[in-house]
Amino acid sequence: MKDINKINSIEDLKQIINNQIQKRISDKKPVLIVSSGTCGQARGSLALIEALEQVIKDEYLHDEVNIKVTGCHGFCEAEPNIIIQPQGIFYQHVKPEDAKEIIFETILNNKIIDRLLVSDPVTGEKAVKEKDIRFYKKQKRVVSGDNALIDPTDIDDYFSTGGYSSLAKILERISPEEVVETVKASGLRGRGGAGFPTGLKWQFARKAKGDIKYIICNADEGDPGAYMDRSLMEGNPHRILEGMIIGAYAIGAREGYIYIRAEYPLALRHISLAIKRAEQLGLLGDNILGTDFSLNIHISEGAGAFVCGEETALMASIEGRVGEPRQKPPFPAVKGLWGKPTNINNVETWGNIPIIIDKGAEWFSRIGTNESKGTKIFSLVGKINNTGLVEVPIGITLREVIFDIGGGIPGGKKFKAVQTGGPSGGCIPVEMLDLPIDYDTLTKAGSIMGSGGMIVMDENTCMVDIAKYFLNFLRDESCGKCLSCREGIQRMWEIVKDISEGNGKEEDLELLEELANIVKDASMCGLGQTASNPVLSTLKYFKDEYEDHIKRKKCPAVVCTEIVSSPCQYTCPIDQEASVYIALIAHRKFEEALKIIRKDNPLPSVCGRVCHHPCEKACRAGEFGEPIAIRSLKRFVTDWAIENDYRVQNNNKSKKDKVAIIGAGPSGLTAGYYLSLKGYQATIFESLPVPGGMLAIAIPDYRLPKKIFNFDFDNIIKSGVTINTNKTLGKDFFIDDLFKEGYKAVFIAIGAHKSMKLNIPNEDSKDVIQAIELLKEVNLGNEVELGERVGIIGGGNAAVDAARVAIRNKNCKSVTILYRRTRKEMPAFEEEIESAIEEGIGIKFLTSPTRVLTQNGKVIGVECIQMKLGDLDASGRRRPIPIEGSEFSIELDTLIPAIGESPDTSFVSNKDKLSISKWNTILVNKETLLTDQIGVFAGGDVATGPRTVVEAISAGKTAAESIEKYLEGKSLTKEYKLTRPSLYVEPVELSEEEIEEAKRPELSKLSVKQRQKNFNEVELTLTEEMAVKEARRCLRCELETEEGKKAIGR
Amino acid sequence: MNIETQKVKSFIAKHNSEKKALISILQDIQKEYNYLPQEALRIISETLGIPLIDVVGAATFYRAFSLKPRGKHIITVCVGTACHVRGGPKILGEFKRDLDIDEGETTKDNQFTLETVACLGCCAIGPVVVVDGNYYAQTNMRKVKSILNTYRKKEKENEGYQQN
Repeated sequence: MKDINKINSIEDLKQIINNQIQKRISDKKPVLIVSSGTCGQARGSLALIEALEQVIKDEYLHDEVNIKVTGCHGFCEAEPNIIIQPQGIFYQHVKPEDAKEIIFETILNNKIIDRLLVSDPVTGEKAVKEKDIRFYKKQKRVVSGDNALIDPTDIDDYFSTGGYSSLAKILERISPEEVVETVKASGLRGRGGAGFPTGLKWQFARKAKGDIKYIICNADEGDPGAYMDRSLMEGNPHRILEGMIIGAYAIGAREGYIYIRAEYPLALRHISLAIKRAEQLGLLGDNILGTDFSLNIHISEGAGAFVCGEETALMASIEGRVGEPRQKPPFPAVKGLWGKPTNINNVETWGNIPIIIDKGAEWFSRIGTNESKGTKIFSLVGKINNTGLVEVPIGITLREVIFDIGGGIPGGKKFKAVQTGGPSGGCIPVEMLDLPIDYDTLTKAGSIMGSGGMIVMDENTCMVDIAKYFLNFLRDESCGKCLSCREGIQRMWEIVKDISEGNGKEEDLELLEELANIVKDASMCGLGQTASNPVLSTLKYFKDEYEDHIKRKKCPAVVCTEIVSSPCQYTCPIDQEASVYIALIAHRKFEEALKIIRKDNPLPSVCGRVCHHPCEKACRAGEFGEPIAIRSLKRFVTDWAIENDYRVQNNNKSKKDKVAIIGAGPSGLTAGYYLSLKGYQATIFESLPVPGGMLAIAIPDYRLPKKIFNFDFDNIIKSGVTINTNKTLGKDFFIDDLFKEGYKAVFIAIGAHKSMKLNIPNEDSKDVIQAIELLKEVNLGNEVELGERVGIIGGGNAAVDAARVAIRNKNCKSVTILYRRTRKEMPAFEEEIESAIEEGIGIKFLTSPTRVLTQNGKVIGVECIQMKLGDLDASGRRRPIPIEGSEFSIELDTLIPAIGESPDTSFVSNKDKLSISKWNTILVNKETLLTDQIGVFAGGDVATGPRTVVEAISAGKTAAESIEKYLEGKSLTKEYKLTRPSLYVEPVELSEEEIEEAKRPELSKLSVKQRQKNFNEVELTLTEEMAVKEARRCLRCELETEEGKKAIGR
Repeated sequence: MNIETQKVKSFIAKHNSEKKALISILQDIQKEYNYLPQEALRIISETLGIPLIDVVGAATFYRAFSLKPRGKHIITVCVGTACHVRGGPKILGEFKRDLDIDEGETTKDNQFTLETVACLGCCAIGPVVVVDGNYYAQTNMRKVKSILNTYRKKEKENEGYQQN
């Protein structure tokens, strides 16, 4: 503890400040600066500090290095972080175990520890110094920068940054009126939310009549998600005090209050300590620095009431009363605390004052825009890579803050909206990302600047849920005085809650908007007046999301529990009740599990092999670990069925109308199956000699063995559907003929089998084989001639399948896939790409073909151009751009293009009234699958372009339902129902050990050697033990709905 | 609960028996007894000359105060916007299910009280849970169980001890 001596004069203060500044400049000793605000501590900074101190003690290194414990450096994502001066090296995610290495390697031996460096979230490059880090580059840390320089509990540190020199300056030679003029001239606007010109506010208070005046610092920071004030008070409390003392001097106040939230214990400690120190040194109290200016600052703690951030409620709270706002005027500047003129400013506003006095109003007014000067600290939180506190000049765009400084959205997800201004603000969508951040522009966009909270949301944030969240918050925090606020917010919440639970009505939106406007107009204080903003802004920009909830009972972001139930079932295009059959597996009830699967899926064995499992992507277990291996579990059950020969029973013999289906792929087979079950005479016409579509001719045997497809196919035939192979629409018959023959409805499901051309010179050479052609020939059992060196163009499943088929060809020695983007963007299934790489297939990324090279009619290679990824576009992805002059050639014997397929709609005759899109797909009503031609439906790839197996099956199901309605003369309009399981299975109890060890199983595969030159199935089925263990890991999300909870007695 | 009148009066005196210090006094009482006993509110009303209705009004207006006795361990789940967007509600739901209580309630054995707070200002480590002043970063549904077990184990070890 140092000797605390009162500073008796301005001169003495200036001397002390100067001494400290000199000390800082001349001290060349290395310092380890540890960020240790509340979030730093929550992440373990205290243990780190202890470890560093221990090393220094054990190794007697006190003369070599110092440790400085500071407040927040702002880059919260990187904490615990250390800045090493004087080099400015920045280490992130530092653990206590790293302490010795840092001191020995970096401090003593000047070596950088690579793994502790910050990696750019966009480019992956490592930055060594703080100033090189993307997060910091565009910031202008005028107010918050000193946090990284000073120990907030040591006033000498504050002096060493020039602290209190502004106070000295004004006491020495600037009159109170001049101070007010300076602040006015600077253009500073209140940083708490309303943005009122600070200088003007001071002037009102200065001019107000009365001897007794107060200043208040509003440190109630109630906006959830905003914590810049906390960071300033923890990290640089004297800066705030200095600002307040200057303000009190300017206004003529002799008492001040800092109203601080109880939820900020560390900030409270530091500011209390700072006040005590200042008092001890005579910077607060009577006759400050020997002048006749006196000021006492007291602390008043909040007790958990958001409304106390409103100035009149805040003052009531200081007075010991309930925090109810009152009518304004009179404004606090005229009649405030205990009826006296009072000036209230936000923490950040006070924090700007010393710099404005120091560097001048002109300097300050050069930063920012015309209407809004200076910098603003934003808290960038939510779905963002670089979470932290960002201080930028006002006027920077949202895009720069979110995608540049913030490093974009984690997990490669798409940006959806950014919420600014807390519960009083609104959501800003992607179209407005180039908006310069300014008080007025944000207000015009339907939001507000507020205290600076910026909550980034992605595709998995539901805007209805967000509106509900804010309304819930506000109805709780409303003081209750005004009817419009108290009742209005409650009613709005009830309406939005109903919508979020799938019980919304069409009229609700109009009512909601009407209510919102009333609450806005009729409420007395800022809380009520802005309470409608979240609702109004989400209605404005995301109305379709509300409508999805109301009309279609869907939550596109997969958030609202009552609508989603279990995300696996919800996202499944065919409504498979995954969590139910998984629960049955956990109870070893395999037959019942099979029943559940087959209820909604006539091709379950196929899906168990090749489905792209959107359920796993949505699985909640995947949010903090690995998703449940749903597809493997389904496969376990279907393999068990095959092993035990569980066949489908024969059904339904009633004779109804004849329906024709074109195409025996998954879509057509499914439609035929369900139509037969409904009693219709379904006949499928298939152009190829075998049924199955892409299942039979595109997916290779090592992925989908023939016997697996055949098992499902046999079950489908049992339903009564007839299949005629070798019958091609547009050649052997036309749609017209079908109706003439007595078919009452037609479902076109011919898929997309026509390969897209590369459109490069020489692609018609005979050694250029389209991927689909290759796959078809091999699947049909025909010999294919391939060269030794094979190249594949493309990055989807067809490309990878073709590659893996090629490498199994007896002639082929090497296979290379050429893809124009990077691995991250490859659309093929991850498991497929991994297997391909295992099998020795090479992939060249960022490569695009420009011409096929031939000699004497034979392919000898392909000329390519190198690509590079450009900057992030609006959706957050990087577009590939060719690099001029970077052409190069690759030697090949066979080239296999696999860049996509499109439907072959040449069958359309002049009698048909079908509408065809520019991509050659048949245009249909997305919900009913009806085409423009009466009685003709279409679905699957022919209507959507190439998609997945399960989506084709879904189209088949929808077609069967639509056709039934059509033939019964009913309306085709889809009825929407909430996703619910058909039964609720008891959950299993997991032991503590099981929870600890729970992990997704590693799937067994054939070794690469075992796969060579054969088409044996590569992936193996789970054992029963593995399957049951994995099934037990399921979180059983369907039990979270009210219905689910009730069903199992919770 | 045995409320010592003298102790309550000492808190009042600490704040110079000023009416404006009502909230600070309530905070001290809450810190001492873990909640605001009715008896203490009466003493404050009499001593400071504030109508009891106003004292109760303040006690019920501010979230930080509890008029019901609270458990030994206070679990505070952050339900601020940033934590909400990162899955906070599921964490809260998991605590509710495991402890079999609703928010604002205390378990029957008085061990745990489950509360919520709208933002602690540590959004980078969200979803945040604080138990007895200990901050837990990036909680998820699995961590909930291990957090509770830490405190349950502590209680088993302290069996036989008189707390406080």
